[in-house]
Amino acid sequence: MSRHLTAIFLLMFVLHGGSWAQTKGDDGSATQRGEIVGQGGTKFPIAVAALRNLGGGADNSRLSDGIADAIVHDLELSGWFKVIDRAMHIEHPQKSGITLGGFDFKDWSTVGAEGLVKGGFAVQGDDVTVELRLFDVFQSKERIGKRYTDPIRQYRRIAHKFADEIINQFTGIPGIFNTRIAYVSTSGGRFKEIFVSHLDGSEKFQVTKNRTINLSPSWTSDGKSVIYTSYKDRSPNLYHFELYSGKEAKWAARNGKYLSGKLSPDGQHVAATLEVGGNTNLVLLDRNGNPIRQLTSDPGIEVSPSWSPDSKQLVFVSDRAGSPQLYVFELASGKSRRLTYSGNYNTAPEWSPRGDRIAYTGRVGSRFAIFTISAEGGEPRKLTSEAADSEDPTWSPDGRFIAFSSNRAGRRHLYVMQSSGDNQRRLTGSDGDDTKPSWSPRLE
Amino acid sequence: MTQFKMSCYLFAGALFLAAGCAPSTTSRPDTSITPGAPATGAGGSKSGSVGEGQRGATKESNTGPTASSLDQLREGKSSATAPTSPLKDVYFDYDRYDLRGDARETLRVNADWLKSNPAARVEIEGHCDDRGTNEYNLALGAKRAQSAKDYLATLGISAERLSTISYGAEIPVCKDQSEGCWRQNRRARFVVLPARPAS
Repeated sequence: MSRHLTAIFLLMFVLHGGSWAQTKGDDGSATQRGEIVGQGGTKFPIAVAALRNLGGGADNSRLSDGIADAIVHDLELSGWFKVIDRAMHIEHPQKSGITLGGFDFKDWSTVGAEGLVKGGFAVQGDDVTVELRLFDVFQSKERIGKRYTDPIRQYRRIAHKFADEIINQFTGIPGIFNTRIAYVSTSGGRFKEIFVSHLDGSEKFQVTKNRTINLSPSWTSDGKSVIYTSYKDRSPNLYHFELYSGKEAKWAARNGKYLSGKLSPDGQHVAATLEVGGNTNLVLLDRNGNPIRQLTSDPGIEVSPSWSPDSKQLVFVSDRAGSPQLYVFELASGKSRRLTYSGNYNTAPEWSPRGDRIAYTGRVGSRFAIFTISAEGGEPRKLTSEAADSEDPTWSPDGRFIAFSSNRAGRRHLYVMQSSGDNQRRLTGSDGDDTKPSWSPRLE
Repeated sequence: MTQFKMSCYLFAGALFLAAGCAPSTTSRPDTSITPGAPATGAGGSKSGSVGEGQRGATKESNTGPTASSLDQLREGKSSATAPTSPLKDVYFDYDRYDLRGDARETLRVNADWLKSNPAARVEIEGHCDDRGTNEYNLALGAKRAQSAKDYLATLGISAERLSTISYGAEIPVCKDQSEGCWRQNRRARFVVLPARPAS
């Protein structure tokens, strides 16, 4: 309840208090604590004008609409904005100015916009320079102005970066749109391969092409490499793929059946699941893949470690009490405590980058749903409906969103929602099954 | 193919030899006709141990190396075990890796075959239905394969002849979302490995 009140207060303060530019300085801490829950009536009305071609080359890549569309996609994904339909816009985007004084704010207040994004671009060869501004329509003021130059084919990145600036302006924390998702897909065949794409599905890149089974991708904390499990050499093992160089290497230095592994946020260790004689246990490797020590030694199933943001604890799955449940392991003491008590199938945990909550997949009747639970334990919150299966939650780097896979539209696709469970939207629509998303850190 | 032929000679008891190497032109025996799954519920072989080996002998070779589920996936073929295979799949309950009565019965039949083919080495694959999460299913499949291996060991089969691998829920034989299908996927499958090069 109080969370909702805080949220509404923040929205009122931020959006109608007449001082949204100072929000960050005045109320940064409060903003960071509260999750801004956009409720129907309180979504902030914003317009994103098509961009003006400022000269240079012709707009052969449809940048005018394309950049605006990408910003709209991001703002809608956040759930905090009501974006005014472009068909309602009054002014002609190629004939009006993009700086203060070059256009009439009345054209925008008339259509109900309280915020306005305008911009222009100039094509030079393979590059494009883009100027983007955020205006406060009530105050007739400019709030953000940015200029970017990038290859034309990466124009959506420019949009994502600016969307991150807009979110920062409103909430005091940059957005998470200039990020990528690594996931497993059967797209294009019967094999399970690792892919990476932006949240909007753009710049999709196939990481593995070994025509076997590749699973459980995760990111290094610099966002430059993906770690995953592969059957490419028959037996499951951990691999490391550097996205910029295309270099792939076996991660674990010794042979063994490694079912999964994750690099710690501080980049120093890998927590891996190793199978020996049918038993799976957690082991700690150094960052070069050399074994340091075994963390658990239970005769049952111990899998799916996920690091706490301070790299001091792991949440993992164990069936030591007769059904798969979440446990928290403290590296310093070597002790673990049970976290989940409700339900008899709780798996695939991921610790929020904020540290406060842990998301996981739990079974409800015959279906699977996404839950979160406090890292200290307590009552879990169910975030998805059991009308379909939703699995494999992964947090955005700011901890305000969760991506997951679901079969609610038939095949398995990736979805994203606010960490409250609100504003669930589909991300991917490939011809295969998309599963096991892993959200990257913020990128350059 | 050369590997196949060689292993015929290495493995074969007299019983299998004639039938074993004859149809080498028709490639691997378990590239599967119909899913050899337990259409009749509890699953596993109902026909008892007497007929199994002989049936295999009279029909076609089952003594040479067979393809792993991963090999089958790579070639776009079903990983279902051929009905003629002397080594039968054993089946498990949901989220369980303990052996049911029918699973023990099947394993005794498999053990008989292993005893009469002492050169054969077998990889036991653990599989799961696709409900639940991938990593947990990988661990569950490892447990299932190990349960089968441990029981075979108690029946006198040397553990050195048996290796295990888990494919979790990644290589199902049946893809429908129904219990009838899921129970066919919750299995341990037995793959005859190529003979060691020099032993």
